[in-house]
Amino acid sequence: MSNLSLTTADFEPIKLQRETQTISRPSLSYWRDAWVRLKTNKRALISLFIIVGLLVFTIAGPWIWTIDPSAQDLDQLSTPPGANRVAKIVAPYHPWAGVTTEPAPISTQPTWATQEVRLAEPATTQAVRLEWDPVPAATGYRVYRNIYDPEPDGALGLPIGEIYDARRVSYEDLLDLSPTRFWYSIVATDDLGREVAEYTTLVVDVVRVITIDQAVVAGLEGPNGPLELGDEVLIKFHPLGTDYLGRDMLARLMYGARVSLFIGIIAPLFFVLIGILYGSAAGFIGGKTDQILMRFADFVVALPFLLFMILFKIAFGIGPGESGIFPMLVALVVLSWPATARLVRGQILQIREEAYIGASQLLGAKTYYLILRHMIPNTLGVILVTLTFAVPTVIFVEAFLSFIGMGVAPPTPSWGSMCNEGIQTMLNHPHELIFPALFISITVLAFNLLGDGLRDALDARMRSRE
Amino acid sequence: MSNIKSDTSEALTRTGSIQLLWLGLAATVGIAILMALLSWASALTGSSTATLDAIDEDSETVTLLLRTEPPQLDSTRATDSVSISLLGHVMEGLLRFDENNQLAPGVAERWEIREDGATFWLRPDARWNDGIPVTAHDFVFAWRTALAPENASEYAFILYPVKNGELINSGALPIEALGVHAVSDRILEVEFEQPLAYFEELVAFSTYNPIREDFYRSREGRYGADVEDLLYNGPFQMTVWVHGAHVRLEKNQNYWGRDRIRLNVIDMPYFTTDATSALNLFKDGKVAVVDYLGAEQLDEVLQQRWQLQRFGDGSVWFLAFNFAPDRVTANLHLRKALQLVTDPGELVNRIIKLPGNLPGESLFPVWLQGVDTFFRQEHPVQQITLDADAAREHLRIAMEELGIESPPSISLLVDDTPGAAKQAEYFQNLYRTELGIDIRIDRQIFKQRLAKMQSQDFDLAVYGWGPDFADPLTFGELFASWNPNNNGRFINEEYDESVRLAQSSLDPKTRMEAFARQQEILIEQVALIPNYERGRVYITDRRLKGVVRRAVGPDPDYTNAYITPSP
Repeated sequence: MSNLSLTTADFEPIKLQRETQTISRPSLSYWRDAWVRLKTNKRALISLFIIVGLLVFTIAGPWIWTIDPSAQDLDQLSTPPGANRVAKIVAPYHPWAGVTTEPAPISTQPTWATQEVRLAEPATTQAVRLEWDPVPAATGYRVYRNIYDPEPDGALGLPIGEIYDARRVSYEDLLDLSPTRFWYSIVATDDLGREVAEYTTLVVDVVRVITIDQAVVAGLEGPNGPLELGDEVLIKFHPLGTDYLGRDMLARLMYGARVSLFIGIIAPLFFVLIGILYGSAAGFIGGKTDQILMRFADFVVALPFLLFMILFKIAFGIGPGESGIFPMLVALVVLSWPATARLVRGQILQIREEAYIGASQLLGAKTYYLILRHMIPNTLGVILVTLTFAVPTVIFVEAFLSFIGMGVAPPTPSWGSMCNEGIQTMLNHPHELIFPALFISITVLAFNLLGDGLRDALDARMRSRE
Repeated sequence: MSNIKSDTSEALTRTGSIQLLWLGLAATVGIAILMALLSWASALTGSSTATLDAIDEDSETVTLLLRTEPPQLDSTRATDSVSISLLGHVMEGLLRFDENNQLAPGVAERWEIREDGATFWLRPDARWNDGIPVTAHDFVFAWRTALAPENASEYAFILYPVKNGELINSGALPIEALGVHAVSDRILEVEFEQPLAYFEELVAFSTYNPIREDFYRSREGRYGADVEDLLYNGPFQMTVWVHGAHVRLEKNQNYWGRDRIRLNVIDMPYFTTDATSALNLFKDGKVAVVDYLGAEQLDEVLQQRWQLQRFGDGSVWFLAFNFAPDRVTANLHLRKALQLVTDPGELVNRIIKLPGNLPGESLFPVWLQGVDTFFRQEHPVQQITLDADAAREHLRIAMEELGIESPPSISLLVDDTPGAAKQAEYFQNLYRTELGIDIRIDRQIFKQRLAKMQSQDFDLAVYGWGPDFADPLTFGELFASWNPNNNGRFINEEYDESVRLAQSSLDPKTRMEAFARQQEILIEQVALIPNYERGRVYITDRRLKGVVRRAVGPDPDYTNAYITPSP
């Protein structure tokens, strides 16, 4: 009993504990919540990183990889990525007079086989110079080149040269030489200009060379100090190879991305904005105005895009050889807004009937307050999703129009025009098609997946599921 | 509760997605196997039956493809190479080209060319396919028709050497005034406007082919429009013409030289301009010849070990300038600057990459005959040494003369084929890096390009010119001030005089010297920048022999072709 000691303090009234009223979890705004849920969606997150990466690639890339996308490296035409770049330094090209002989004495037994074919000089990518022993009774020669062995069926390959003068027993090949193995075949022709059945073949391994002047211009350096003839150097590096005119694929992809992403982002921004204004006006005002506005939107939907693109091109006085990007942008903006307008109008019509709008109105909210505070935030989710889905569509349209030659003017690259160029050489040099096509596919996929993720994250009704 | 529910739905999605993945994999593998099977099956059946398609040894039939359909086959109005090639098979003029590309007697069995005219004696056994003999009157009628102003034949000018031809074509004289007369059914007399050195070449051209008057009139303006609207006097006659789909030629049993013709049927059931699909038809054994290949197709041809051949089609390709005074290209120094940095060798060897093309050096191609040997051997071209510094100096002078501060922007008119685009981009980069000149590429479809050239709406244009007859004049005339095909309106009095001399002189030496002077003027004045002399690479079935390719006249020519038995 005695150990129970009460003091006056024990009889103080308990203070009102305010803490019990506070919410135990941090408050989440709509956007924060959306972000949290977007973060749990791995696909959307990766897509977002890809898109950010693409933007960096496009904007910062050309500062790091400072190669002119229209510079032509004629020594490396259609080189795939990772090709051997070793080249030998040689003297500048000098014309070759060739080899001529006196006609063979008539007493020699006519034999049609050529005795021997030799290289007059080491074979390089500058020139392959062949000479051979004269064939008695020949009236001329034909020179063939193959990248496969002509044996056993005598497929001699490309007819690269014809010589009508029997005294001339040499040929200089300059045609599209690459550091590879060639089989050269020499066939003699008879007095009627027909080829004889026999031929002689020489296997030649061509060495890649560049002249000392070219090396100096390209800023190459030898292994030990200044360049000398015979030094081996590594010629210009193209990480993704080159196209059919020897232009750097990486640089072209970067500049091409500028065009593709520029139009892919600017055009949707504009037409979605127009769509929001138009759709919310129609939805909010309602009645006759709504009817008229939406019938006009239906009319715009029916207009053919390609025709208008051409009309705009003419109306803006875009001459041949000038970029068609601006008319394309205008045509896209002018013709693509109705989809967004319809969507926004539907949302507004729905929200207008909600109870909280009525309550707000009863409490004396003004129209602009209603629109700014209630209507737009509630439609923003839909709008954002439309925007992300519009981007890949527009990138595709740009690619398609550039593919058919309506878009950018050469030498400006765009992914679509690069695909168009690459498809010509698809079978021989697939990298010229694969890279731009890959970039288009990845970008479009990333935007689509991000849009998908955004739709889930921004949908208020899906909040309760977690 | 809600937690449990979401868990099950999550689990369901996971198993569902695994199932979907397996199904997807199975479907992909299944489709891949199916495709492999199908291609294997088609290869099995294809190789044995398809080879019969392209060449049938028993019926002596060859199957070919046509690049396009001929617009019509009226010889007085034909201008395109497909029509001219077909006309070469179904029609025959006074003279023809034989299997060695030499002129040979056609309907005329002998002839005599004088200074003021010519006489042709027609062979008695030359007949139309309905059995009626070909007479001198048929030639008179055809030539008059070609020149009649209401017929508006684009090739009427080729008949101008015949007396009064030009005046009749312009409507100044009635067509009866033409200097050609049928002395009898078998003797044709021709009067010349002025002495003429190359009339034999001309009469082998398709515009000089005969037309029978009663038949022409009975068709009431439909002559040459369809298979029954033509009479044939050539080695073959057309038996099928399904527009846009099929042409079939069969041996003409009324042809005087029928014993010489060894093929029975030339069937052309495919029309395509696309080299890839043409190559696929050849691969499947559906056609015996693919006469047009691009550089992209060569690797496959080599891999398939097909026999490649080449020939020069005789045409010369060059950059033409617009000489209109308001165009910068009218400035000589600007043209000189462009000339001094253009290397046709690089263009041919690195950009076009097709064997057979020769780097262009002159308007006059290497194959033209001179007095004794080739014209270009007798009169070598003045060589241009590439010199970028001199070019920049010329450009500086040009800019001063034009009163401009920076290098001008020039439009380049080209075809819209992939090859032309590639060359245009090459020139664009070349002139930009060497001279700082900005080139705007104007890609147009063939007809539109011609229209723009005729209306002089270009600065620079890629221009190709094929020969109409085997004389340097066919090229030299092109830059005469009166020639409608001189699209850039190059005007040079000395050049015109030299062309007139070459037209009227009969002395080969004087003429060749005139052409040599023209060649010099063109290079000094930079009237053009030669690009290349075009060569073609083509593949032929190994069993088909005797196909003749030529620069002048009907090409390709199958009249002498024959089939060798397969080994």
